[in-house]
Amino acid sequence: MAFDPSILVQYWPLFAQGAWLTIQITAMAFLLGYTVGIVVALIAQIPNRLVRILVAAYVGVLRGIPFIIILFLVYYGLPFAGIRLPAFVTGTVALSLFASAYYAEIIRAAILALPRGQFESARVVGMSPLQAMRHVIAPQILRSLVPPSTNMTLTMIKESSVLSSITVAELTYQGLIVQGNTFAPFEVFAAVTLIYWAITMVVAWLAGLLEARVGQAQQETIIRNPLAAEFLSFDRRPVR
Amino acid sequence: MSVPAILGVSGLTKRFRGTTALDQVYLDIAKGEVVALIGPSGCGKSTLLRCLTWLEQPDDGFITIEGKPFGRETNGTVVRRHGGRQIDAMRPRIGMVFQQLNLWPHLSAIENVIRPQMVVLGRPREEATQRARALLASLSLADKAQHYPDALSGGQRQRVAIARALAMDPALMLFDEPTSALDPELVGEVLALLRELAGTGMTMLVVTHEIGFAAHVADRIAFMDKGRIIEDGPAAQVMNRPADPRVAAFLNLIGSGRAPLETLAS
Repeated sequence: MAFDPSILVQYWPLFAQGAWLTIQITAMAFLLGYTVGIVVALIAQIPNRLVRILVAAYVGVLRGIPFIIILFLVYYGLPFAGIRLPAFVTGTVALSLFASAYYAEIIRAAILALPRGQFESARVVGMSPLQAMRHVIAPQILRSLVPPSTNMTLTMIKESSVLSSITVAELTYQGLIVQGNTFAPFEVFAAVTLIYWAITMVVAWLAGLLEARVGQAQQETIIRNPLAAEFLSFDRRPVR
Repeated sequence: MSVPAILGVSGLTKRFRGTTALDQVYLDIAKGEVVALIGPSGCGKSTLLRCLTWLEQPDDGFITIEGKPFGRETNGTVVRRHGGRQIDAMRPRIGMVFQQLNLWPHLSAIENVIRPQMVVLGRPREEATQRARALLASLSLADKAQHYPDALSGGQRQRVAIARALAMDPALMLFDEPTSALDPELVGEVLALLRELAGTGMTMLVVTHEIGFAAHVADRIAFMDKGRIIEDGPAAQVMNRPADPRVAAFLNLIGSGRAPLETLAS
């Protein structure tokens, strides 16, 4: 049994389609999941016991059960409610829900790490809670959100392979199809491995750029002493 | 009194898990009056300021700002709680300078003063900037406007915090121990600033440990102990002839704290 790369050449359109669908699904799940995560993190700020219990339940349930079970619950549960959606949509929604719980916790932790006085000084001049978030809290937590959010996003990209079990034709599903046609599982999954790795590398690289960008914007404000900034900047060495 | 007080506090009570932090506090402050609030630590001074700004919700009692109820009001026998918006709308009338200042580190000094005016009062940027420049200049911070809080000294930061509060054109200014977070050599500077502010006719309530400020700048001293205001009167009277023995004991204690130093020096 020799390693036979020719089947990859023959079946590359399937791999390409699968990879593209994986990218589309995770991009949508990221946008949807992060939006829900922000909303949940904001709701978690409301000082009300019932609200706190509901948020803890939402986050606890979604973090406490395996993703494949969340997926099955949504996939088989929605028809009970009379809702029939394509598997692709159901899978994206389940993935968003799964990620949103983690994103919410990441944002909540970042808000919690700021001194309470920052929020209070914004409220005391008359800002509403949302205005305080927008003008005082959000700009200060942006940078610390990037690394943990990247982590979670990479996890989510990999978890999207589970969608193959509900017949969503993403990368892993296409890999299984090709394997079924060729009976060459090692070649197929070596190729699938490389594609997942490439996708996650690109995302990690983009996140690095974003972090540097947000970090630079913040660093400009951290080095507030013009003299110190002059000494610390690499492109403008002070002449003395 | 025919003229409504700038601040009226009646029966204000706040409990934290069984302990009573504020116990039936009554306090009226007339326009232009400077009141020093003194008392042993843990007596509820800071809690009172936090309740006056509704950062903590008092369990009982009423607050009026310029005669208007704040937080809750009575309609006949029914007590009605104010909604969030109603409270937010009243808050600019009270300027609060926190002990820890709580400047916003991601905004420059002048932006700290501009932003709340734009967001809360809806002032256009040019008008807010003008007001901020004028305030910073009057607090001798004109050349520090573009600096970020981290690049400012403790005294400069405090003046930015004061400018931020004043920019909202408050009727009343609250200060929570304005000198306690400062280096000792800056204390005099801040006290002079507060005196100057008092000179402009600003109504002020100052929680302080500086007996000197209480004695020389304040019109009135209110003394708090175990969540109650137990003595409230003209500054000289409270300092020299306190009616309550607890006030006398406290003033003695502070006085005796200094005595050994003087004997050492001589």
